[in-house]
Amino acid sequence: MPESQAGVLDATARRELAREISRLARASAQSVLRAAPVPMVPPARRIGFTGPPGVGKSTLVGKLVERRAAQGVSVGVLAIDPASPYSKGAILGDRIRMDQASGDPRVFMRSVSSRDSQDGMCNNVADILCAMEAHHFDELVLETVGVGQAEHAVKALVDTVVLLMQPETGDAIQALKAGILEVADIIVVSKSDLHGAPKMREVLASTVRFGAQRAVGWTVPVLGVSVETGKGLDELEAALTAHAAWVAANRTAAETQARRACYRVQDLVLRRLDDQLSALSPADYERPVAELYQRVLEGLRQT
Amino acid sequence: MSLAGKRILIAKPGLDGHDVGAKIIALALRDAGAEVIYTGLRKSPQYIARVAVEEDVDAVGLSILSGSHVDLVRDTVRHLREAQGGNIKIFVGGTIPQEDVEPLMTSGAAGVFNASQRIEDVVAEVGRLLDDA
Repeated sequence: MPESQAGVLDATARRELAREISRLARASAQSVLRAAPVPMVPPARRIGFTGPPGVGKSTLVGKLVERRAAQGVSVGVLAIDPASPYSKGAILGDRIRMDQASGDPRVFMRSVSSRDSQDGMCNNVADILCAMEAHHFDELVLETVGVGQAEHAVKALVDTVVLLMQPETGDAIQALKAGILEVADIIVVSKSDLHGAPKMREVLASTVRFGAQRAVGWTVPVLGVSVETGKGLDELEAALTAHAAWVAANRTAAETQARRACYRVQDLVLRRLDDQLSALSPADYERPVAELYQRVLEGLRQT
Repeated sequence: MSLAGKRILIAKPGLDGHDVGAKIIALALRDAGAEVIYTGLRKSPQYIARVAVEEDVDAVGLSILSGSHVDLVRDTVRHLREAQGGNIKIFVGGTIPQEDVEPLMTSGAAGVFNASQRIEDVVAEVGRLLDDA
């Protein structure tokens, strides 16, 4: 286990990183292009946790990070919560489930609001992760509410995607519909002390057996984990280690960088597009679609 | 009153276990546009200071019903300075006797609120104090 001081932040570094994250979360597409953080080489190991609201992501992340820190691993956590579509305000409640971990000197934990982003991420999330990486954490954890597009964004930004599902919900069928099972490298049935968890595991395991991941040679484990009883946490850590080894053997650094760069460009362009669209007035919409289309394209080109 | 873009930590130091007031304030601040982080019950001033710095908040709202508000505010101010968060403003809410308002303000609180105040007024006052910064 790594037992270094890498990623253990003093008060000054903690303050600096906290401010840098605020700056990036508020930065416009143009300003982030002017002063984008340079990706770290080698990057930290990145793990993403996603799944529906209330499934237990923060609780599980809190427990896992606590265990990692106790083993001497430094961890940076970025937790993204949705903003209210009405006031744009937000209650960022992930911390409350991570209080054991978030007092540890080896842990840096930050909550951000998804603000107005389309994919459930926060603005400039790729740059925020790079800024965190520059502080040499051994691991970065990204936690997001699973809302359709978020899973695909997570996939682009992290090395290992852990998808959480609850027992006794319609989630297995929902997951098939939305296709979100395909992005998972590890599936966790949370609250596995509850009735219905074994059946949920069975359904999910038989589903992933035919999934897309199999084609690339990784068998997606479906694990039952109960933070309440502690059962399954060892298995989850073992699965994370196994997937890290698989990634090291099967994915090149260039592929990973390309995927992240692609997400970053897409994110910036889509935000510029949003700006263009929100600048249109109701009167503009009386114009022919072809004309509006041209105008938006030209608007994008000008910046 | 808009608190758009402001980040506020609502924290419960000390030993009292009632956080209905804290949660109501958190929701009112959210509805005014703020990003609100809540710590949960029974947190130490040291922990609260660390979270405030990590979350880069503009203000910390301390909800205290235990009676030990003066000590807890003093400790939080001290730990915030040590964590290089000396610029973060502190508000206090709870069961605060009138004679304690002055000592709280001299200890470093930017505002003191009690349960008889209208929530709109509390939000407006927080907004005013943050705009002064």
